Amino acid sequence: MMRVIEGSHAVAEAVRLAKVQVISAYPITPQTHIVEILSEYCASGAMNAKFLRVESEHSALAALIGAQSTGTRTFTATSSQGLALMHELLHWTSGARLPIVMAEVNRALAPGWNIWTDQTDSLAQRDTGWIQLYCEDGQEVLDTTLQAYRLAESVNLPVMVVLDAFFLSHTYEPVDVPEQADVDRFLPPFEPKFQLDTSAPCSFSPLVTPAFYMEMRHEIAAAMDEALSCYPEIEDEFAGIFHRRYGAVEAIHCEDAQIIFVTSGTVTSTCRLVLRDLRARGEKAGLLKIKLFRPTPVELIRNALKSAEKVAVIDRNFSFGSGGIFAQEVRAALCNTSGHPPVFGYVAGIGGRDITGELLEEIYWKTKDSDVPAAESIWMGLQKVDHGK
Amino acid sequence: MTEARTGALFMPRTYASTESNKTGSWRYLRPRYEEKTAPCSTGCPAGEDIGTIEMLTAQGLFKEAWEKILIENPFPAVCGRVCYHPCEAKCNRREFDSGVAIRILERFLADTASRYELKPSIERSPAKKQKIAVAGAGPSGLTAAFFLTVLGYKCDVFESMPEPGGVLRWAIPGYRLPPAALKNEIARIENLGISIRTGKPVSWASIEEARGNYDAVFIGCGHPRTAMINFPGEDSAGMVDGMEFLRKVRGGGSPPCEGLSAVIGGGNTAMDVARSIVRLGGKAVILYRRRRQDMPAFEEEISMALDEGVELKELLAPVRLTPDSGGYLLTMQHMKVTGEDEKGRALIGPDGSRTLDFRIQRVFKATGAEAAEEWQNPPRKGQERLALNGCVMVRKKGDPVLVYGGDLVNEKKSVAHAVASGKAAAMALDTLFREGFDAVPARLAPSAVGPGPALSMEIYMGGERRLRNPHVVRFEEINTDYFRFEPRISQPRLLREERLHSFEEIDLRISANLAMREAERCFNCGICNRCDNCYLFCPDLAVIRKREGQERHIDYDYCKGCGLCVVECPRNAMTLEEEGP
Repeated sequence: MMRVIEGSHAVAEAVRLAKVQVISAYPITPQTHIVEILSEYCASGAMNAKFLRVESEHSALAALIGAQSTGTRTFTATSSQGLALMHELLHWTSGARLPIVMAEVNRALAPGWNIWTDQTDSLAQRDTGWIQLYCEDGQEVLDTTLQAYRLAESVNLPVMVVLDAFFLSHTYEPVDVPEQADVDRFLPPFEPKFQLDTSAPCSFSPLVTPAFYMEMRHEIAAAMDEALSCYPEIEDEFAGIFHRRYGAVEAIHCEDAQIIFVTSGTVTSTCRLVLRDLRARGEKAGLLKIKLFRPTPVELIRNALKSAEKVAVIDRNFSFGSGGIFAQEVRAALCNTSGHPPVFGYVAGIGGRDITGELLEEIYWKTKDSDVPAAESIWMGLQKVDHGK
Repeated sequence: MTEARTGALFMPRTYASTESNKTGSWRYLRPRYEEKTAPCSTGCPAGEDIGTIEMLTAQGLFKEAWEKILIENPFPAVCGRVCYHPCEAKCNRREFDSGVAIRILERFLADTASRYELKPSIERSPAKKQKIAVAGAGPSGLTAAFFLTVLGYKCDVFESMPEPGGVLRWAIPGYRLPPAALKNEIARIENLGISIRTGKPVSWASIEEARGNYDAVFIGCGHPRTAMINFPGEDSAGMVDGMEFLRKVRGGGSPPCEGLSAVIGGGNTAMDVARSIVRLGGKAVILYRRRRQDMPAFEEEISMALDEGVELKELLAPVRLTPDSGGYLLTMQHMKVTGEDEKGRALIGPDGSRTLDFRIQRVFKATGAEAAEEWQNPPRKGQERLALNGCVMVRKKGDPVLVYGGDLVNEKKSVAHAVASGKAAAMALDTLFREGFDAVPARLAPSAVGPGPALSMEIYMGGERRLRNPHVVRFEEINTDYFRFEPRISQPRLLREERLHSFEEIDLRISANLAMREAERCFNCGICNRCDNCYLFCPDLAVIRKREGQERHIDYDYCKGCGLCVVECPRNAMTLEEEGP
């Protein structure tokens, strides 16, 4: 049924439809609307789930690690500082092979205290063994949350569904909320591959010596590779029921493009319009949207960018001392291919500043007019700062 | 269709036992089960184990709860009705929402026991050879006889009135304490094997004659007579002794009450007299020399009296009483507050020479009461004299030991204090006979509930309660996360219109369902109610719970001293302390 709902509520609707059994979360702007409505669903009986109130995000994830270990389907949501506080347990979740799904609303880290969108929080957790899926709009975030359970439970790794603060979390859009029966066909009840079982007592996560630890880590690496290969299969099945498909990456006009934008999250929508305008003026522009990040779809990126003359990566994030993180990843994906295009790294929209169509067009012309990038990271729209005396 | 990848995950998991890892060796803090003292039990003059009583009540174990009261107090049906419940003033729950209705629950348990004619199983010590005479079958005398019998002694009780009960039978009106409830309690005390000889006043001569027959005499004759105020006209026919009036009413009589009567006094007797007058068809005005907040009467009694139409005039003292056309003219002097004593009670003096006249039919004197005969008062000093909590013990060579108790000794004249007095006397005599006069104070001190002064017979007799730490649990020591707000039960009562025309009991019964809900509100401060939080929270499975029975203990081979059990104990029944060297 088509409804006009917030991005946050699109997540909540997906969690309800996924028949999640245990939810634990600690409120933080801009994530609050997600868990608010879920707690109402738990209280009203719309969901047959236990909502655990906890005193911190660390405890929220710790509680889910326990709950998921008993073979239940679980959910949490957080943002920024909350995700940072979870850091230790993010590693634990993947190490323990628990298919927990989390909605992570991209918000800038403090200080300066800032509640607006910025991808640095989730990208800083890229080495924790979580699969990350970046979403562009309300429909995608609903669909991706449902897919996330299938993906997580197939490979026994946790999944983070990532959405921009406010631009997506608090924006009302028409969203097709699917019927329960259809969702049930796509997402059957969770069948754990292992679980706490009092009739077969064992202890989880004991000491592991160097003789075995490395193999266990390799298994996680292999599971990440597997996620890369099974995501398209899950999407096929999803499209078979719901007639929507997103792709681990989405390449638009890349085949004949001279300059290709690389984006993630809501800025992609703005870029689609810029692309339409540029094409109308005869410019050979293209767009590569990255949705799946960790595992990085290296082959898909290489393939989409192989015939471009230049690549312009938009990063709403920054790794201090290095550069925009997507730019790094794109460079890494391309560097072992021969004759790959130069990669221009643009840093924009940090801390929730708007990335307008004009700014994206400016990036296009800047890229077109330069043979090589002027710097590893080009900060767009910077104001002059008066440092005083 | 994607298939879930099959095959076991290669992940850290072990089926080996962790028993070999004795985590107890990491411990530097040691938790242990240690019950503590609930504040209510220190507020109760009789030292009742209220936290345990409410725990048993909440579990529906009404007989056991009732027996728990009887260990400390043979009068639950009486105290459940007339006690001024100082326990409730100490209830920790008052800081959370409102205190537990302890008195209402005590009455419920007593009524339930009576309804089902339950016979208490009371532990009794082996028989001893000593015999004790008790003078006065009031609450202190009967309590002394009860506990002395429990401790193995033979007791004879002598009572001057035709029926036992003292102030309970002959003063407190039936609307507060119906005769049937009292009869039941006394019958149970008698059934222990105590003989109560009514119509047998004890005189000093008869005590001297008792030499050889009895080893000790408990003197609990009470204060049955109103003392002189000393003003002109006090000896006229228009002056009635309030205690005498109540005795007549309790004896089934209807002494004259028509018209307006003045009641001089501010204690519970004044309230009882005034409220009885109203029930007999008269009007009453209470005249008190201090202010309402200074009155020794319990606040609930005052407000009910006013509610029933009794008038109250404050700061008035009698000047004279003179006959006046078919009645009397009572002249009162206006008084004024000149300061306050250390308890906040007003200090007063005459307010100039201003007076106020009352045209009344008679005056009831309900001021301070006193002993009927001088010998009943305890000697103020003497060599072999021991002043204990609520009683005075005097030994004279060749004579039986004398113990003075009840209202003769107690500063606070309440039934609960009389019970405390009789109990202290029984403990003191038992120690005297077994270990000698000098051993008494040292033997009684460890039987105190918490810091005292209330004494516990259970502790004295070596029961489990002696293991409790005397530390009184504070509100901050309760883990209130485990309690939810619940309103306190309100006492159902007869309507005012129903009360005014009969001596029928005002307070009505409550159902078992309500009683259990109210008892569940009790924090059971410091007392384990087997909630098993310790067992559930212990991360090392070091809390061992026996399948049968209620025993729990800590396996120190594995307890690493994290202290979770102590923090999660809702009622502070556990203690965490540093390991010894």
